[in-house]
Order: sequence, then structure tokens, then C-alpha cells
Amino acid sequence: MAMTVKPWQWGNVPGHEMATPVKGDVVAKLVKAAKRPLLIVGGASLKEKLGGKLLIDFAAELAKAGIPTVATAHVYKALKDRGVEPAAIMTVADVTNRLQDPNWSVDGKGPHDLVIYMGVSYQLQSQMLSTLKHFATHLRTLSLDRYFHPNATYSMPNLKEDEWEQALNNVIALLKS
Amino acid sequence: MVEKGPLKISAKELASGLVSAKDIEVLIGRIAMEEEWELLGPTPFPHISTLRSWDHMLLSRYKPFYAPFCDYCCLCTYGKCDLSKGRLGACGINMKAQTARIVLIACCIGASTHLAHARHMVDHLIEKFGEDYPINLGQEIAIEMPHARLITGIKPKTLGDLAYLLNYCEKEVTQCLSASHTGQEGNYLDFESKALHVSMIDHLAMEIADVAQIVTFNFPKGDPNAPLTWVGLGVLDLSKPVVICIGHNVSAGIEVIDYLEKSGLGGPGETVEVAGLCCTAHDIVRYRDQAKIIGPISDQLRIIRSGAADVIMTDEQCIRTNVVYEAQRVKTPVVAVSDKASYGLPDVSELPVEKIVEMLVSGSVPGVFLPDLEKAGAVTAITAIRMAPIRQKFKIIPDPSQIQAQASGCTFCGTCRRNCPIDLPIDQAVFNAKKGDFELLSMLHDLCLGCARCEQVCPRKIPALSLIEAAFQHKIKTEKYRIRVGRGPILDTEIREVGSPIVLGEIPGVVAYVGCANFPNGAKEVGIMAREFARRGYIVTLSGCSAMVASYVRNEEGKTIYEEFPGTFDRGGVVNVGSCVANAHITGAAIKIANIFAKRPLRANYEEIADYILNRVGAVGVAWGAYSQKAASIATGCNRLGIPVIVGPQGSKYRRMYLGRAEDKESFTVYDARTGERVWIGPAPEHLIIALETMEECMVWTAKLCIRPNDTTKGRMIKLTHYVDLYKRIYGKLPPDLHHFVRTEADIPITFKEEIMRYLKEVGWEPWEKPSIDPTLLKRLIRAQA
Ligand code: SF4
Ligand code: SF4
Ligand code: SF4
Repeated sequence: MAMTVKPWQWGNVPGHEMATPVKGDVVAKLVKAAKRPLLIVGGASLKEKLGGKLLIDFAAELAKAGIPTVATAHVYKALKDRGVEPAAIMTVADVTNRLQDPNWSVDGKGPHDLVIYMGVSYQLQSQMLSTLKHFATHLRTLSLDRYFHPNATYSMPNLKEDEWEQALNNVIALLKS
Repeated sequence: MVEKGPLKISAKELASGLVSAKDIEVLIGRIAMEEEWELLGPTPFPHISTLRSWDHMLLSRYKPFYAPFCDYCCLCTYGKCDLSKGRLGACGINMKAQTARIVLIACCIGASTHLAHARHMVDHLIEKFGEDYPINLGQEIAIEMPHARLITGIKPKTLGDLAYLLNYCEKEVTQCLSASHTGQEGNYLDFESKALHVSMIDHLAMEIADVAQIVTFNFPKGDPNAPLTWVGLGVLDLSKPVVICIGHNVSAGIEVIDYLEKSGLGGPGETVEVAGLCCTAHDIVRYRDQAKIIGPISDQLRIIRSGAADVIMTDEQCIRTNVVYEAQRVKTPVVAVSDKASYGLPDVSELPVEKIVEMLVSGSVPGVFLPDLEKAGAVTAITAIRMAPIRQKFKIIPDPSQIQAQASGCTFCGTCRRNCPIDLPIDQAVFNAKKGDFELLSMLHDLCLGCARCEQVCPRKIPALSLIEAAFQHKIKTEKYRIRVGRGPILDTEIREVGSPIVLGEIPGVVAYVGCANFPNGAKEVGIMAREFARRGYIVTLSGCSAMVASYVRNEEGKTIYEEFPGTFDRGGVVNVGSCVANAHITGAAIKIANIFAKRPLRANYEEIADYILNRVGAVGVAWGAYSQKAASIATGCNRLGIPVIVGPQGSKYRRMYLGRAEDKESFTVYDARTGERVWIGPAPEHLIIALETMEECMVWTAKLCIRPNDTTKGRMIKLTHYVDLYKRIYGKLPPDLHHFVRTEADIPITFKEEIMRYLKEVGWEPWEKPSIDPTLLKRLIRAQA
């Protein structure tokens, strides 16, 4: 997909290699193709609204579709209320730190191959993605937020709210199919 | 001024074996003349690598975690070098080392800033009061400068001694900075060791700056009942001429007050309002509590554009670098006094006061550079009085009636939001205002950092920050809060009272809310957290911008935390120590606990004291809005001393954390000093510095990071009660790592006993074999060996 995308935060230009922008079905296929994905859900998911729902509602659906999930910040309760028992409650720094270790996994079932961040505030998420970009070259990363994250391997390209909602619904539908 | 003398080491010191050949060099000089107030410890005047083994010990448990901000290095002409994904630079450096190098540079900037501040302050005070002016903090403070005694082995007695200590600090900062040159240090751990070293020096420099001003200007000397004063955007009486001092070095602001008083114009607020922004504000009210604190760094543009100031006096640090331009827009003249921040203004030192005033009042210059402080005080006061009727508080914040028109060009392009440091929906707010709805604009006032990035990038040149202020104007008058004047150091008598309950864990912890105003979610979170922990009986200490904004949250009775809680360093006390440089008293209190309460030798004995603090003193720093390089060095200095620090999400942009891994049991073992055995202590504290996402998460971690290996069962039970209670409130369940902290059944909080017992059974917990040890990381402290 040939797309040139400016990072969401204009100043966030880390280098000449930036994330591959992905949208539409590609996102869903990426997630579906991963053998050991990990979903990291952050505190902004309790505030971000789309399609009359909160981002955490979408995160909960992804978790229910079988992606092992880490609840960062204070999102555990909200996930629990939505019927999800995450694999772990950790700070986003703690989980990112461990992901540098190629043998680590949140559930002890073997290393992850795709790490998905969702609802971690933009700048903090960007820093975490930077850590993995530089020091966890065994991993691919994906941001499911609507903002372009150049430090990820794949990122959504600054979507409008409805496009974002559509993309997330696609992922959920494909995973559940 | 500096005493030079022959080498003089007591027989006792030589016999102790504590003085090594490499120490001899530093002993020739001031320390050789030192009275023998305590046996000289192993590391007087430590050099860049003297404490390296301590640093490496810390870093083997708390491994540096790097989050590079940029893929490139551009420090020399070989670059830019792309260091991403394991690539080496043209000089051979890798990304870890490069990121550590940037951290080191940040810490050097931070330390040198406090140090240059201290140097200016001490030189100025020596000129004013003489080098023999005594360091006397009163009857209740015998350990006047714990950092100086601990690091150098010197017990400073005069201002001249402080100047001598600054020579040492300056040398160390130079050494550390030089390590960052291309082709010098190449290993990330050694970069970190140097960052830790220079940050330790930072705390000494802060102590020197603050003690010098306390003793000479007669600031409160650890007074728990220091008076209450005012803080907030609404504190000024705008019917009077107003002087606003911005920065961190109060010596010039004091000259304004002195001039007013000497000229019969009364104290601050009588005929002329004297107020401050940022730390200089803290220090002005420590001098005269009738002066006023407007607020933190984030209020600078707001107050300048409001036209309140008839003169702006700038000193140093955290000042808007375009202050002259912004001031000119509202016809406010600027008097810049610091040679570190002179803004291209003409140096008028040689001109008489009347002439300078004339230049400023006529508007022939936008401001002046006037490093002669006494003259600057007079010029500022007289100019404010003359300017007030001319300016009529001319402002550029529009009237609310003009908001809609000024927002009318907005195309909702989103550029402003995409350049806002904290991603505020300013685009939506301005677009709503265009349609006549100002609610979001007004709401953003409490969240906005006041940086004006949004205005800089707006293709339609919409003054978004001014619009936020305009929408908030109707509430400005109510922005007035009570704050206790910075009291400075903690009394030795207080340390005697609380030493035992802190070390045994019965006071659950000391929490320090410190640092700047780059808050992720508004200033009020600091106030909410501070109140929560004070109510729980923690000792809450505050400084800098955090101390100001903590007052913005009132309780049910309308009281700020400073009205609700006593100012004592005791259970449930809320202690404002003062400005940034007063942070040294918070770390100083931890040092004093080790020395005064636990009787650990203080003199030149850094490792042992830091080891004591790490293992026994449940203190944690929270710099929720940290933004500056000074905050980087303050935090890193806390870390070397064994004090963990939490920063807000923006703090991840410091690019480095020190993170433990609880499951790595080996890394959380220590010696039992009684037997020499290596014993697992649980992850206490788990991290040395970590960036967290939300206030709720921060509260849980604050409670957890106060846990220490040495807690008694009663102490551990109390600490766990708070940890579990907060965790349950926020997560709705028990913490999943309780088995790391419950050593025996007696540690279990009574309120949650059954539930916790059930949980422990589930995870197969067994009581620890060695729940009570004498923990240390230092082999030499093992008594069995001796
Ligand atoms: S200092 Fe090293 S990495 Fe940086 S630009 Fe120069 S050669 Fe490249
Ligand atoms: S940058 Fe200017 S025009 Fe664009 S949304 Fe913001 S205020 Fe409106
Ligand atoms: S002034 Fe406020 S809204 Fe504008 S960029 Fe700065 S923080 Fe964001």
C-alpha cells in the first residue's frame, strides 16, 4: 500500500524508516495472521469515544476474540466489567520492558510475534513503540489507535472517526469468524 | 577565603584504613583543616568513578530501560548517524549508549543550572554579607547541610565554605559532561553511572543555593508553622502597580522589596504588588509573605498577556525565551538580571537609575539587561510605579465578546492539536467557539500548559491560547488559594520523632510531590493525590510548581491541603519545603533519618547511607509534570540515594527508566548483615524510576514503592493495608503480587485477612524462611565478616 502519512504529532519524526500505514481489511488480516499476538490496552481507552462507544468496548471485543491482553493504567476494572479477564495487569513500561526479552510471553505460552497497542496516550505509546523498534527487532508492532505512530511496524494513518470504527469492527469480525 | 593547609589526617582516621591514597589529593586543602566532627568516611569528595561500584550494583537490579526519542545522533560532523535497529554510529556508538549519553547530557544541564544558580547566589551573598557569614539554621537543626557532610565530609560553617564546595561541584560537572564528547565513554552503564554522579552533585548544589539564601535572607528555618500566603491567577490587586518576577533566583526580587521598604513605600502589596511565577515566587514569599505567588511556569504567557505586570523582572531558568516580545505586546518593560538570560537587551549597568527608568518608561527600549541587582531592584520598583498609570493594565487577551470573531477563521484543520504537547482537542474548542460555544475552550484552561504551540502553527493565525484565557476570564477572580510558605529544611527534632516509625514502616511512607507543570491531565491531579496520601497518614512533602498547584483542590469545607493538614514533618503532615533548590531538604531528610535516627556515620559515607535509605526509608518522589533537565537530574540524584521516583506519562520522553523485574529473584537479594547470607527480599522497591500513565495507577504505585525490606511486621501490615485498599478501589481486586510482600501471616492487613489468606493459599505461598533480616547491598557491612 503506497501511502505517505505524516505522524499524528508533527514533531514525532523519528527517522527515515517509519511505520507502514495500514487500514481497511489489511489491519484485520495482520491481526488474524499473527500466531501469538498480544494486546496492550491503555488508560486513554477509557476516554476515547467512537461510534457512541468507548475505545475500551472495542478492546474488550478483541480480547474476547482470543488475543491475550494486558491491562495497563487502571483499565482492568473496565475490562472486567465487559466480561474480560486480562492475562495480566501491568504498567505499560513493565510490559514493554519484558517484551524486549525474546523469550518472554505474558502467559508463558511462547513468545509473541505481534504486539498491539490500543488506547495508550499518544506520546507514551510512541516511546514504548520506539523501545520495541530498537531493542526488540524480533517483534512486529501495530497501533490500533486512529493516529499514525511512526515508531510502530504498522499503524493506522490518522483516520476519521468512522473509518477507525470500521477498521476496528473489521478486525473484530474477522477474528470472530 | 579558601583555607589551604598542610595535609592533616588524624591518627584515628589513618588507623581506620578509611583514607586511601587516592583520597590524599583532595585532603590537601580544605578538608585537612576540618575539625574532627566525625571519623572521616571512605569517600570524601568523590570523583566521577569513586562510587561507580555502587551505581553498577543499583543498575544490575534496576536495569536501564531506553525509549529513544529519535533514531539519529547529530552530535558531531560525521552525523547524522542513523542508530536504529542495532546500527552503530560512525564513532562506533550504539543506541543504548547514545540514549544514555543524552540522559547524561540532560543531567549535566540540570546540575549545572542549579550549580550556576548556587554560584551566583553565593557570590552575591558573599559580596553583600561577607564570606564569614555563618551557616546557622537555628537551635533545632544541627545537621545543617546533610548532603555536604555526606558527600564531601565537610561541615560548612560560613558562606566562604559554600563557595569552596562549589569549586568541587563545578569540577565534577565538567568531568561528567566531558564524558559525553564523541569518542569518550561508550558503555551505557558507565554513562548512567556518570549521570548518577552528576545528579548527586546536583542535590549538593541545590542544598548550597537554598541554605545560602535561608541563612542570609532569614527565610523560615524549618518552621512547620510558616505562614500561609496566596497563590493563583486571581491574587493580584490590579489597582496597584505590579511587579512580576519570573524565574528561580530570588536575589533580584528581594532587592525590589528592599527598595520599596527602604523608600517608605511599604512592604509588598502596600503600594506596589510584588508577585512571582515559578520558583522565584516561592522564594519571594519566603522573604515576605505579603508577596504573592501567581503560579507555575504554565501561567507565564497567561499572566503576561493579561497585562497585569507593569514591569517584568526575569532572573534565570524556565522563563519564556520570547518573554521580551510577549511583554512588549502589552507594553510591559522587562528588566533581565541574569547573565545567563539577557535576551539581547542593552546592558545598562553603567547608567544611573533615573536614566534607565526613563528609557523603560519612554519605551525607547523594550527592556534592559541589568545584572547589578541593587540597581535592578530600584529600577524595577520605580518603573512599575511610573508605568502603571501609563499602561492602564493594557492587555491582549480579548474580551469574551470578541472570542467568536477571532475564532471565525478556523477551518478545523487540526494542526493545532497535532502540535499540542499533550494532544488537547484545541481544534475542536476553537471550532466550537466559531459557532458560539465557548465551553470546551473554557474547560481547556485547567488542562492547557500555556505553551502557545497551537498559535505558532495555526495557518489562520488564530490566537488559541488567548481565546482559552478569554473564555476563562469570568472565573479568574476566584483563582485564589492558600499555600504555606516554603519552610526549608526538616528539623532534627522532627527526624528524631519520625525516624523510628518511618524506618519500621509505621508511618507508611514519605511521598514527595515535586517538579514542573507538564501535567498530562491538568494540575489538579497533584492536589488529589497529595490529599489522598496525607489523609492516609503518609508524610507529604512538596516543592516547586507541584507545591503550588497542589493547593488548587479544595476539600469539602473549602480548605486547601495547606489549611487542612499541619505543616509538620510527621504522620499526615503536608510540608512545602519551597522552591526547586529546596528539594535538597527532602533528600536531606532521608539522609538525616539514616544519621540522626539510625546513627549511621554521615561523614563522606555515601554508599552506606544510600544503602540504608534504599533498604529502610520508605520514601518516593512523584514528579507528575516533570519537563526540565533539572527535573531529570533531581530524579536521578534521588535514585543514586536509593529513593524511587515516579514521573507522569510525559516523563517517558526523558527516554530512560530504571526498571526492576520482580520475577528475577536473584536481583532482589541482599546480604543479611548479621550473617553474610544472601537473602531474597521481594521487589521492594520494584523500580527506581518509572513513567506511569494515569493518576489512579500512580496512586497504587506510590503506596507500593514505599514498601522496604526492613519494615517490621506492623509496618509492613500498615503499608500493605494502603496498597491493598487503593488497589481494590482502583482495580476491584487484590494485587496479584501480594505474595512478594507478605513475609509471614503477621504482615497481612487485618481488614483483608481472610481474603488475602485465600489468595495466598491459591498461589501456594509459604511463610518466608527469613522474614526479618538486616538488609544491605554492601559486603563490607557484613558483621560476621568483621
Ligand atoms: S557522535 Fe557518533 S553517532 Fe553521533 S553523529 Fe558523531 S559519529 Fe555519529
Ligand atoms: S490550527 Fe487554527 S484553523 Fe486549524 S483547527 Fe486549529 S485553530 Fe482552527
Ligand atoms: S497552549 Fe495549551 S492548547 Fe495550545 S498547544 Fe500549548 S498546551 Fe496545547
